[in-house]
Amino acid sequence: MTKTKKIVFITIIALLALGLGACTGRRIVASGWSGVTANEETVYFAYGPQAYAVSLKNGTQKWLYPLEPENGVDFYAAPVFTPDGDQLILASYKNEIHSVNPDNGIKNWSYSVPADSRSAVRFIDSPLTTNEGIFAPASNNTLYALDSDGALQWEYQTGDPLWASPIWSETCQCIYQVSMDHHLYALDAESGKLLWKSEDLGGPIVNPPAISESGLIIISTFNNEVIALDESSQEVAWSFATNDWAWASPLVDGEQVYISDISGIFYALELATGDVLWQIQPGGGIYDAPLVQGELIYFSTDASSLVVVNQDGVVQRNQPIEGKLYSGPVSAGEKLLLAPSESEYYLIALNESGVQAWGYPPAGN
Amino acid sequence: MWDAFISLMINILLFIYDLIGQNFGWAIIIFTILVRVVTYPLNARQMKSSKAMQELQSSKKWQDIQKKYKDDKETLAQKQMEIYREMGISPFGSCLPLLIQFPIIIGLYQAIIRALAVTPLQLVNLSKHINDGANLIPINSQFWWMELSEPERLPIFGIGIPILAILVVITSYIQTKMVSPTGGAPADGGQGAQMTQAMTLYMPFLMGYLALTFASGLALYFIATNLATIAQYVITGQANFKNILPKLPNFNRQ
Repeated sequence: MTKTKKIVFITIIALLALGLGACTGRRIVASGWSGVTANEETVYFAYGPQAYAVSLKNGTQKWLYPLEPENGVDFYAAPVFTPDGDQLILASYKNEIHSVNPDNGIKNWSYSVPADSRSAVRFIDSPLTTNEGIFAPASNNTLYALDSDGALQWEYQTGDPLWASPIWSETCQCIYQVSMDHHLYALDAESGKLLWKSEDLGGPIVNPPAISESGLIIISTFNNEVIALDESSQEVAWSFATNDWAWASPLVDGEQVYISDISGIFYALELATGDVLWQIQPGGGIYDAPLVQGELIYFSTDASSLVVVNQDGVVQRNQPIEGKLYSGPVSAGEKLLLAPSESEYYLIALNESGVQAWGYPPAGN
Repeated sequence: MWDAFISLMINILLFIYDLIGQNFGWAIIIFTILVRVVTYPLNARQMKSSKAMQELQSSKKWQDIQKKYKDDKETLAQKQMEIYREMGISPFGSCLPLLIQFPIIIGLYQAIIRALAVTPLQLVNLSKHINDGANLIPINSQFWWMELSEPERLPIFGIGIPILAILVVITSYIQTKMVSPTGGAPADGGQGAQMTQAMTLYMPFLMGYLALTFASGLALYFIATNLATIAQYVITGQANFKNILPKLPNFNRQ
């Protein structure tokens, strides 16, 4: 074979491999978006093969976990504390739940779901941590309940993958778990026994519902609908038709509830009736719950912007941010934290006026 | 443009998936066969050009000039071009249809992987490609013993055996051998012959490596497309069985 033909041959092979590999599940650089948790001093977040602890004050790194990335193990769900604050729980995209010491990032324990050739187990969203245990939803349709030492207590199987964290209901004293099989499950935290199951809610559900003090469970569905279930009767109290898939969790704020869809419409509804109070469409899809601080509502869009509106729906600020914002803003101290994707920073902190205080990793790294 | 092409492929794939009772493995197989049927004119043209080229390279005239001008590459190339013109063969006749199919192969694979959407970012991406389809989410990515979004291994006595990758190597080898001239490439040591030999040897292993490391939906696609190609050669009477089973009586139409 001549040199030219060899080059042509190798180029074709390389192009084929690149073309095929460009969007393969295993080869994607990032397959989720970063979840963020913070306390008064430290911000914890997970993005790709490692979880990070950085100083809230200036963004300097405190620790990394694991120190060296492990092949195929990715973390995206927001790290969560156990109620005693002694453990930080990390959920991975590869079969595992890890517990680390929040002070130094040293591993306490890990729980691995037994391998099964037919199902790749991903923990997409954060576990729920309560005094009763750690409840981790998995993509193999199963909710795993662990004790604080990582021992399996029970598991509960639904019809489709679980992408949303379970939530705790004070009224029911039970766990609510939504599933992509269109149902909400009320489970006893101690035994995993099914207490009740909602009717078919019309579409997959990928984010946790919100619960109001008045006993409404508000659920976003891919059936272009947000549904309010009455906790006591388990019946649909009202439903609201959105323009597109309702992906993000709703947020209850007094007598209002804020919802959104992936076409980028942000709605304020009357909590009791589901009647729309106002709606805006600043541009870009909305994939995570908003944040309410004082009189202002903050939400992020994948059109690279942080949108700030007042409670009458008037946009106060539409701030461009480098990268795509799939995860919502998080408040910590006097800072607002954002975890952009496709950006030079994994995490940025804004001060009250919206000016960037710091970014991680620091510029130039 | 490319995105619109991918969207079209994803929507056809999901239409088939829904039509056959939401089985993604069968949807890949049916979609692959459908693509082969649609691209049949291109394949037929490629097959015809390949055959003409093989016959030419086996001819005495061709082998004579290879020997005569083996030390003068420039004159050899000129003489080869003359023979091409004389016989009405385009040296790129078999490559061009293959190149046109290239984006179809890539597009089909991207459609398969994007439709599976097993992570949030993949689902965001999918939502931008499909017209509605919320009722199809999540896509059932399990097929027989396989998880189509992951590389495949069948556990046998505790050892994960890559059955699909092995099948990909075997079917790719059979397919490549079936289209080669009997007795292998011409013994003239020509560039085309060397290229054919290299392809026969390396291509099955490259495909096998891709099947081993990438999502098993790709491996399933490779097997389906290899079997469809073999069937196409058999139906059109161009399959060369003697390359696979040399003791077989020569019943080909060649």
